[in-house]
Formats: sequence, structure tokens, C-alpha cells
Amino acid sequence: MGNKLSRRRQVVDEKYTRPQGLYQHRDVDHKKLKKLILDSKLAPCYPGDEECAFDLEECPICFLFYPSLNRSRCCMKGICTECFLQMKPPHSTRPTQCPFCKTSNYAVEYRGMRSKEEKGLEQVEEQLVIEAKIRKRQQELQEEEERMQRRQEMGSSSRNMASADIEYQGVSGDEIVSSQDSCAMPTIRQSSRSRQNRDDEFDLDLEDIMVMEAIWLSIQDTDAQRYPIHVAAATTEQFVTEDRYVSPAMVPLAEASSPSSGLACALASLAEHQHMDGDPSTNDVGNSGAFSMPTASGRSSSGGERVADTCPSGSWIDISPNSGRAMSRGEGEWGIDHGSEVAEAGTSYASSDATVDAGGGGSSLQDGMDDRFQPSMTGTIMPESFEEQMMLAMAVSLAEARARTSAQGVTWY
Amino acid sequence: MTSSSAPSRKALSKIACNRLQKELVEWQVNPPAGFKHKVTDNLQRWIIEVAGAAGTLYANESYQLQVDFPEHYPMEAPQVIFLPPAPLHPHIYSNGHICLDILYDSWSPAMTVSSICISILSMLSSSTVKQRPADNDRYVKNCRNGRSPKETRWWFHDDKV
Repeated sequence: MGNKLSRRRQVVDEKYTRPQGLYQHRDVDHKKLKKLILDSKLAPCYPGDEECAFDLEECPICFLFYPSLNRSRCCMKGICTECFLQMKPPHSTRPTQCPFCKTSNYAVEYRGMRSKEEKGLEQVEEQLVIEAKIRKRQQELQEEEERMQRRQEMGSSSRNMASADIEYQGVSGDEIVSSQDSCAMPTIRQSSRSRQNRDDEFDLDLEDIMVMEAIWLSIQDTDAQRYPIHVAAATTEQFVTEDRYVSPAMVPLAEASSPSSGLACALASLAEHQHMDGDPSTNDVGNSGAFSMPTASGRSSSGGERVADTCPSGSWIDISPNSGRAMSRGEGEWGIDHGSEVAEAGTSYASSDATVDAGGGGSSLQDGMDDRFQPSMTGTIMPESFEEQMMLAMAVSLAEARARTSAQGVTWY
Repeated sequence: MTSSSAPSRKALSKIACNRLQKELVEWQVNPPAGFKHKVTDNLQRWIIEVAGAAGTLYANESYQLQVDFPEHYPMEAPQVIFLPPAPLHPHIYSNGHICLDILYDSWSPAMTVSSICISILSMLSSSTVKQRPADNDRYVKNCRNGRSPKETRWWFHDDKV
């Protein structure tokens, strides 16, 4: 890797081999910096752009846009050269920590401009499009949701309390504390968020669905086509059991999005698919999934651990200090390494899963919800194996998210 | 008291200014749940209203955070304090100083106002008792000269609350 990089000597304008004055740099070795830039070991010091353009990347420290960024060796987060030069505290003898994931001995590498980065960027764009669409749908859904909540105030409030107890117990338990390890904050964060939202009843927050989709996409990026169903199952666990465990991934990803229960997003996507499929058997899945929620909460710990195992470790940690921006950025980076695989997986998914209507159908979603959500909340049906049904439903959701990705990919080429 | 009066700090650097403007725009599009930024024309000092999360000890309570940005933000951490009355919390002193590692030693320039807010809310939310830190009186007395919490040598010991 190192050889490959050093062979490729960059043609960089002389003036971009020194800082552009973003900071008042203290003792920068200009000779060394110039050599590193010419050897393609650091990104050239192009002046940062205030505005986002298609082929520019945003440095998460100075929020300016650059044609290319350096990457943390530890967590692959981008950083512009001038911000990177600021990272080492002048008088500190301690090894510098990565500003993103806090790994010590922070180091970056430069992988050049474009090509692979381009793919990553495209993914970011795709993600943004998905987000925008979902946000739009959220507004529509919210109105419906409010109506729904009014109708079933009685039934759901008691159930909320039950799950709240369990959750609280979990937060103070030793097991969670030990598993937090270095990233104590994100875990706690989520608990507060879910708690905060407890009174919102079953808040069908579409931003959560958005987050769920983001997680799916990232899982796909790292895991490619391996065990898609398995991944879907894990995701199911994650959302059905306990918000709290989702938190390390959820919170940094969602950061600014409002919290709501994992149940809500499971429900929402289920409803969506029920409606889209128009399949009576899937409707049953929706009912059972909703009703079994309190039971699921009780098993939270084992579910959470399993999720942690299946998910790429990087995604849990390295995004923690970041804001909502982290999501698209992270996607982009994963995309860099697995870009081609993802595209492949995307197409195979879209074509193989005939039951999924990838074209959307979000607009007609309300009618579906109206009819089907009520029984699901107040229902008395107790399914035999709700996990299996949820897995199925989630797999369908996954396929749909996938189909959407690939469909949009086409428009970007 | 002293902390809420105008500090004699240097103006924001260009890069700090640029970043804060972008953070503010992002906040307006996507504010962290439970927080309201009070609109002022002062980019260097944000006053943020915090609503205690439902189902926690601070439900239905509202507090104000004052965030002051140094010249070299984000390379340096902002100063974050609660304006009086500060919430009763084992890590929040009656003068509004907050014992939270990310505001001091563990600050990273990759953090944002928004991420700070979320950390503070989670700190509040995970509290099990409404009480002041054990050394509150001594600490507050030591700060009477208007010392910034950033000058305190904090000892972060509790990773649960």
C-alpha cells in the first residue's frame, strides 16, 4: 500500500504544497509538508470551498469543501491537510488521538482524488436523496399518526409503561456499563432519548426509518451480499428489542433526529410493506410484531449483543463525536472500499425479489396505515413466532431499501 | 454571575466564524431534540434552552445553557455552563459549571454544539438523584473570582451519570 502511494508522485501546483492560511499554523515544517504532499502522502492544501459541489468532500473539522481529503488510518474519517496539521497539541507529549474515534497515535493516509472517492460521494448523494424523500413522507405520516394516537390513547399508554421499566433497569445494570467501555456517552444518550420520547406514545418517526435504512446500507456496504437474510434478522432484533442497544449506531447517525422507539420504525416499515405488497399474510406480520413488543423488551440484552456481533465494529465507534453529518460521510467511506460489491448486490436484490415494489408507494401509505395499524396496537392476537415474522418483514424492507439504492444508482451514472 | 457577563475574549477567527455559521444553519434545519437556540446576533455566544426529557427527573423543567466560543474554536472547546438556576444534578455545580469530560479534556474538534447538547441532555436524563456535587460549596467558593470552568482541573470519575 505504502509503495503504491509513494510511486505515484503528484503533480501539485507549488502554492498548494503549503497551508493556505486557514489557521495560524504553529511550527509547521514546510519542507516536510511539501514533500508529503508531492509524494501523495497528504492531500494538497487546496483552498477550502464554502459551498458544496458534486465532486467535493466536506472536512468534518473546518466544514469546508475539498476535492479530496486525507483519511484516518483508524476509522477512515476524512480530514483536510490544514486541519490535520492542527491536530497535535503543540506542547503535548501524549500521542495524538484521532479526533473522530479517539484512537491514539492518530495518523492519516491519502488515497488520492476521485475514482474510488467518487463512488463514495455518489453514495452520499444517494443517501441524501433517500433522506430527503423520507423527510417528505414524514410530514404526511405525522398527520396520520396524530389521528391514530388519539384513537388509541388508552391501550398504548399502559404498554409504554411496561417497556419503560425494563429499559430503566437496563441502564443502571452492570452489564451495560461494562459493554460501553470507551464510548459510554452514546449508550447513555440513547436511553435519554428513548425516555424522552416515551410519552410520545407510538411515535412513527420516519427519521428513524431513515436511520434504519442507513444502517442497512452500511451493513450492506461492509458485508456485501453475505448472508443478507441473517443481517436482516439481526436488524430486526435490534429494532424490536430495545432502543438503548441500538444507540451506539443510532445516535451518532441520527444525532439530530428526534428519538423514538424502535418499535415505531419497525411498525412504520411494516405497514409500508403490507400496503405495498397487498399480501394478507404480511398483514399478520404487522399485527404480531406490534403486539409482541413488550415481550421483546425483556430479552433486550441478548438481542443487543447479537447485533453488536453482526455489525461492523467501525460503525459503532468512529462516528460517536460527530453530528448528523457523520451518517452520509460514513456511508461514503464504506462505499469506497466496497463500492462495486454494493452495486452488484443492489442489482441482484432488485431483480430477485419480485414481491417488492421498489417504486415507492409512499404516498398511498396512509390509507394502509389507517386500517392496519389500529388492530396492531390494540389487537389481541398473539402470534406463535413473532420473530420469524419480523425477520421476514425486515428482509422485505431490506430488499426494498436495496432496490431503491440500485435504482437511484443508475441515475447518477 | 461573572460567567454570564461579557467576557473579554478575542473575536472569533475566520475559520471559527465560518464553522459556527454552518453549525447554526445545520441547527436550524435539524435542531437536536429538546433544544432551542435563542436567536441573537452574537455568533460567539449561544444561549440554548434545554427541555428536560420526559420520563426523567427533569421532565417539564427547562434550563438555559450558555455556550461561549473561543477564538480558535473548534480547535479549542467552547465554554459551556448553565445559566442560573442550574439543574440539580450530581455533576452540575450551583454556579452552572458542568463536570463533563467532553467539555474539557475529551473535547475533539469533530464535536459540534449539537453533539454537546445531546451529551448534556443524556447526562441529565441518566441522573437518579437531584442533588449537587459533594464538593459544591468548596468549588463554587473557589470560582468566585469568575474563573472559567475550563480552568478547573476536572477529575472525571463517574461514567454512569
